[in-house]
Amino acid sequence: MSARRWAGDLAMGTRFAFTGGREGWVRALLTGVGVGLGVALLLLTAAMPSILDTRHAHEAARQDYSFSSTDIKPADDTIVVAHTDTVWHSKDVRGRLLQPEGAKAPLPPGIDRLPAAGEMYVSPALADLLRSPGTALLRERLPGKVVGTIGESGLIGSRELAYYAGSEKLVPLLGKGNVERIDRFGDTTSQGSEPLDPVLLLLVLMVFVVLLTPVAIFVATAVRFGGEQRDRRLAALRLIGCDGGTARRIAAGEALAGSVLGLVFGVGFFLAGAQLASSIELFDVSIFPDYLTPSPVLALLVALAVPATAVLVTLFSLRRVVIEPLGVVRTSGPGRRRLWWRLLLPLLGLLMLTPMIGKGNGGGDFNPYLVTFGVLALLVGITALLPWLVERAVGRLDGGPVSWQLAVRRLQLSSGTAARMVNGIAVAVAGAIALQMLFAGVDADYTKSTGKDPSRTQLEVDLRAATTPDATVRALRATRGVRRTVTLSETSFGARPETTEDTIQIMVGDCAALRELARISSCHEGDAFVSSGAFTDAASRKLMTPGHTVWVDPSYPGNTKGAEARWTLPAELGRAQVRKDALRGDLTGLLVTPSALPAKARPSLGSSVYVMLDPKVPEPEATEEIRTTVQAVDVLADVSIWQSTERSTRYGAIRTGLFAGAAAVLALIGASLLVSQLEQLRERKKLLSSLIAFGTRRRTLTLSVLWQTAIPIALGLLLAMTVGLTLGGVLMKMTAVPLRVDWPSVLSMTGVGAAIVLAVTLLSLPALLRLMRPDGLRTE
Amino acid sequence: MNAPAAPAGSLLTAEDLRKAYGPTVALDGAGFSIHPGEVVAVMGPSGSGKSTLLHCLAGIVPPDSGSIRYAGREMATMNDAERSSLRRSEFGFVFQFGQLVPELTCVENVALPLRLNGTSRKEAEKTALGWMQRLEVDDLAKKRPGEVSGGQGQRVAVARSLVTGPRVLFADEPTGALDSLNGERVMELLTDAARSTNAAVVLVTHEARVAAYSDREIVVRDGRSRDMERAV
Repeated sequence: MSARRWAGDLAMGTRFAFTGGREGWVRALLTGVGVGLGVALLLLTAAMPSILDTRHAHEAARQDYSFSSTDIKPADDTIVVAHTDTVWHSKDVRGRLLQPEGAKAPLPPGIDRLPAAGEMYVSPALADLLRSPGTALLRERLPGKVVGTIGESGLIGSRELAYYAGSEKLVPLLGKGNVERIDRFGDTTSQGSEPLDPVLLLLVLMVFVVLLTPVAIFVATAVRFGGEQRDRRLAALRLIGCDGGTARRIAAGEALAGSVLGLVFGVGFFLAGAQLASSIELFDVSIFPDYLTPSPVLALLVALAVPATAVLVTLFSLRRVVIEPLGVVRTSGPGRRRLWWRLLLPLLGLLMLTPMIGKGNGGGDFNPYLVTFGVLALLVGITALLPWLVERAVGRLDGGPVSWQLAVRRLQLSSGTAARMVNGIAVAVAGAIALQMLFAGVDADYTKSTGKDPSRTQLEVDLRAATTPDATVRALRATRGVRRTVTLSETSFGARPETTEDTIQIMVGDCAALRELARISSCHEGDAFVSSGAFTDAASRKLMTPGHTVWVDPSYPGNTKGAEARWTLPAELGRAQVRKDALRGDLTGLLVTPSALPAKARPSLGSSVYVMLDPKVPEPEATEEIRTTVQAVDVLADVSIWQSTERSTRYGAIRTGLFAGAAAVLALIGASLLVSQLEQLRERKKLLSSLIAFGTRRRTLTLSVLWQTAIPIALGLLLAMTVGLTLGGVLMKMTAVPLRVDWPSVLSMTGVGAAIVLAVTLLSLPALLRLMRPDGLRTE
Repeated sequence: MNAPAAPAGSLLTAEDLRKAYGPTVALDGAGFSIHPGEVVAVMGPSGSGKSTLLHCLAGIVPPDSGSIRYAGREMATMNDAERSSLRRSEFGFVFQFGQLVPELTCVENVALPLRLNGTSRKEAEKTALGWMQRLEVDDLAKKRPGEVSGGQGQRVAVARSLVTGPRVLFADEPTGALDSLNGERVMELLTDAARSTNAAVVLVTHEARVAAYSDREIVVRDGRSRDMERAV
């Protein structure tokens, strides 16, 4: 067989892909769109390293704190930076106040000059937000007039809310909270990121496998669009003397052309999507179009793998088909599918995963190849099992109304086509169920309790710039949405004015505030108490002896000098039994009323105001009012919402990635399913018209189409649940977490799959109704 | 010259039908009439408008203008549901390629119009089998359309068209895809069965051999119809 002959056959197939008038073009277009959607998502995956790298590089370039332990002295090239981040309706706003100390002060990336006091550079998204109605409270918080926009290099996403504002009041605040003097922006320490722990690595691998497998399956499905017409064309070619091998090569050429068109479409979709990327934000992550640069190696892999898959899938689908001059004979015919080889793939998957059972955290690393291929084999096994399951299940169905009969008979005749249609959904749902189980299982390991009880207080305001909390408390009490406030301050004391030894905590508050921490029988201003949680070692006990002289806020060698206030402990120290639901945890020293402390010690106090919200004022209005009030009094204050648990950032990022990816994959699957559905309906246009011609009700045909989708999807989801639960169980065993089925997740994932199919069916109805017009019989 | 005004006793008549698909004029003042039990062949070259005439007469496609009356009732005043009901209960159809539902067995295909009318499955298939016997294809009852020959399939389609006892049978090139022997057999069975039930047959064909089974011929050319019997 000469290469020339091969090339000739493939070229003829390519011509067939696009010829055939309008029909031919529509078929090519549908294939192109189907494959193209998959390619676009694969290219998006190939661009992931670039997205992560670029975001990381931008983040590093604007870093405005140093890890150096030596203080930077004020100079011509230094700048004082204060972090004034805030939150607006659950969205973070990155805020920085800048005070240059000389003409050569460094410039943060993204702005062309340093803003003067009263001036502000804002990100494009923040500028948009400020222009929108209902943002007056946010505007109040931002300290200046907008004089420019922060460029792309200064942001980590197109929708990031950020500002740089000029200030002249930062130097006195140095050392208070997040105020620092720096001589450059950017991370110079090049700290490599820590490797992921084995369970997180497993999660990352799973997310990729689970998200990309359905995409690959859909690409494979899309290249088989128009299969029946192709078979008829090949039969016509056989009639005029073309041999079976040539017919197969022509079919491969046709598939190749469709996949190349799909690549072109995919690049088009990707580029179009990239242009839209700047206006999209998923789970608080946005990007600029420039970030979407696919890795050349991965892009090349996509460019080669997609056509190769198309050709292989076509040849595989023709393996048991004899193309005869008078038509196509499927040698498999209506013969029954066999189960044994279809079980091999999932069993192989289980076999590959079994050696890793019990490894978990601390039990050693998982072999990433075995994990990837094991999970892949299990999931791809669904595509082998589903046609068998559909065939067996529909083979037993009979009776019912005409719509049911039409659907069941159609499924009995071509269960493979129906199974192919739902393969992608089934694989996606199975993967999602397994991942949800795994996430639910390891959730406790990555979600820790904060010890905070949101029923006690809802907001905590940590003051930084203010010297006393009084002004803030007054302002807060006058703010809408505040029911009550409790103020607590903290400092420490040691045995000497300058010490290298451990110091002891002092919590300061009026009697009412101290009672929020501990049970105190009698309390008057000037009293002090030893907490029941206080350290009990000899040195600490000695320091807490009544009447003993100590030093409040001692200095540590090499650090900023403390208040070093001499204090003689009261002659009587009461006993305070720490409440289980204390507003502060770790009460390891003294609880003291304000007048018990020397006045000289007061500047050393770090104060927090705990705010109980008025339930009559709706959220987030109350919180936004409070944030605005606080920022007006203390620009550096930090307002945080009390939550009972907090999640590991990396774990959270992986979960966010899963949700973002799952959203993209489900959108792709929905779109591809719709294209596939339309293609099938188009192939039956004439039959639908003739059924309408002899009076078949449209409702009957519509219901029949619904049954044709609903039956395989129900079976597909059943199989997906079985495989998903099995895979989830194995993964939980692997990570050594107790086996537990998270039924709400399982059912919600299954429900999402069913909802997609329902949506696709509804979206295809207009086309179905159009195709059911009796004038579809007209052929001229 | 257009077809003359409907003669008395006509079951289905059409006058001055006009129909265009975009710039292409398919019917340009065509007329038609048929009596119960009559077989009328509509002849003409490809693209002359004969299938469009059949589709208009059967209420499949509404004409742009003109009148179609069935049993004294103007079809233009009927809505889509009424026309569908008419096609289901009063009309029968045979198309060139049978247009059998590939996934249903032959008996299920024949029984389909009855089932659409609400007849129970058992009853419908029993009646269907009777018609299949008359058309000599009862041995194919359990086979699917893909497993039978073209001629057999067309006979199954004829059985399907007659199973509801239609008053008008529309046949669009019913033998177009068959060899002459099979074609003749199908035509014999079709016309015999129709005459035995007093059904009128509108037979669209371009073959004189097929038209020979009719009582009367109408020729359609450039969207206009001409009654050949009167022209003689």
